[in-house]
Amino acid sequence: MSTDLTAVIAPIEQARGLPNAHYIDEATFDEESKAVLHASWAGLAVAADVPENGDAKPLEFLGLPLLLIRDKDGGVRVFQNTCRHRGMILVSEPRKIEGAIRCPYHSWCYSTKGKLVTTPHVGGPGMNTHEAIDKDTLGLIEIPSHIWRDVVFVNISGDAAPFEEIHADLIARWAEFDQPMYHGGDDSKFELGVNTNYKLAVENYCESYHLPWVHPGLNSYSRLEDHYNINEPGKYSGQGTLVYRQFEGAGGKRFPDFTGLSDKWDDGAEYITVYPNVLLGAQRDHAFAIVLEPQSVDRTVEHIHLYYAVPNVDDAMRLKNTAQWKEVFEEDIFVVEGMQRGRYGPGFDGGRFSPAMDGPTHCFHAWVAQRILDYRQSHSVAAQ
Amino acid sequence: MSLDAELLAAHAAGDVEALITLYTRASEEAVQDAARGFYLTHAYVFALEAGDQRAKRLAERLRTQGRL
Repeated sequence: MSTDLTAVIAPIEQARGLPNAHYIDEATFDEESKAVLHASWAGLAVAADVPENGDAKPLEFLGLPLLLIRDKDGGVRVFQNTCRHRGMILVSEPRKIEGAIRCPYHSWCYSTKGKLVTTPHVGGPGMNTHEAIDKDTLGLIEIPSHIWRDVVFVNISGDAAPFEEIHADLIARWAEFDQPMYHGGDDSKFELGVNTNYKLAVENYCESYHLPWVHPGLNSYSRLEDHYNINEPGKYSGQGTLVYRQFEGAGGKRFPDFTGLSDKWDDGAEYITVYPNVLLGAQRDHAFAIVLEPQSVDRTVEHIHLYYAVPNVDDAMRLKNTAQWKEVFEEDIFVVEGMQRGRYGPGFDGGRFSPAMDGPTHCFHAWVAQRILDYRQSHSVAAQ
Repeated sequence: MSLDAELLAAHAAGDVEALITLYTRASEEAVQDAARGFYLTHAYVFALEAGDQRAKRLAERLRTQGRL
């Protein structure tokens, strides 16, 4: 049964959040996933996951088997991790592809660009061609992908408008940061598994309302009144700060800044959600990306990656910075898990929003709801 | 050690370099045409997967024999 989303897209003063079913009901989440996670540009991974040519990493996105690979010319691609012959999973563990991707079942081989290269014995023993098997039409199924700020975004349905078009405003907003940034390496990434629907991690990230209560340490130098809401209905939302304090290592040492930034970023920083599932932070001296992996209706893995303006920043500072961010993000776990548990209470009606403080959250809810309504309408038309 | 035994050992060890060499040899020693093609195909596939420079030459041989 379809959920009623009328109240979700209402003006914030009257709006309620998404109904409980979107957080706890498998069928509702399945519909929502097709409308939102499949039909938009969803974050899958980061390009730093496959740093060298030939690196391949199998991934699952809501059960869909995918293969992230850096091809022999350095391009990052995403394929369905499925052989076109009998549907076997091609790559089961992260590894380097030295020459070709060989299916472990009947050894059909694909190039790192997805081309079907050879089909051993397909015409009988020792005969590697057959007139019925046209290799040109049997390459790996490629998923449209786009990389921005090192995040690999995918459009599973394959029919979304180009990423640069959909996110043109956000790309322009952060154009100053359109410069090289360097992943800090193995000690600058971590994962947090949380028992929550991914949307609750998004909404918690979008707003600053909770900061003094959940992150008192963070807020001691970043006061609530120094934050502003970022609301771009139908596009993106988040929060900004006017008093960003740079990370300091021993003796007050700081990370190098990104180059050529305007004065705005001297004391400013912004934290924005690229809908539906990527949380980004832009700051003068380092950046981060959090890719939310929605594993099920009530389980999410947060993949956190930290980036710097130069390669090889100070080891001790980098480690300390990772630890500091991990502490902040771990402070949010009880919140997102608590909101998940709260949604099993049938009397909860999606909740109300503070018109002053919850704009970014409402913006996200309304965006999700509109995607679902559009999906329902297009399928209704198709059915007719 | 027989060629068969060497092949089994190379498979067990995951020794791709040896597999390419041994399957090439098996192809050259095979009496029957079908067996020649069979072994040559295996040598080629393992070379292709490994990015071994012998893959190109093996592909040419298969192509010459109308097998690729």
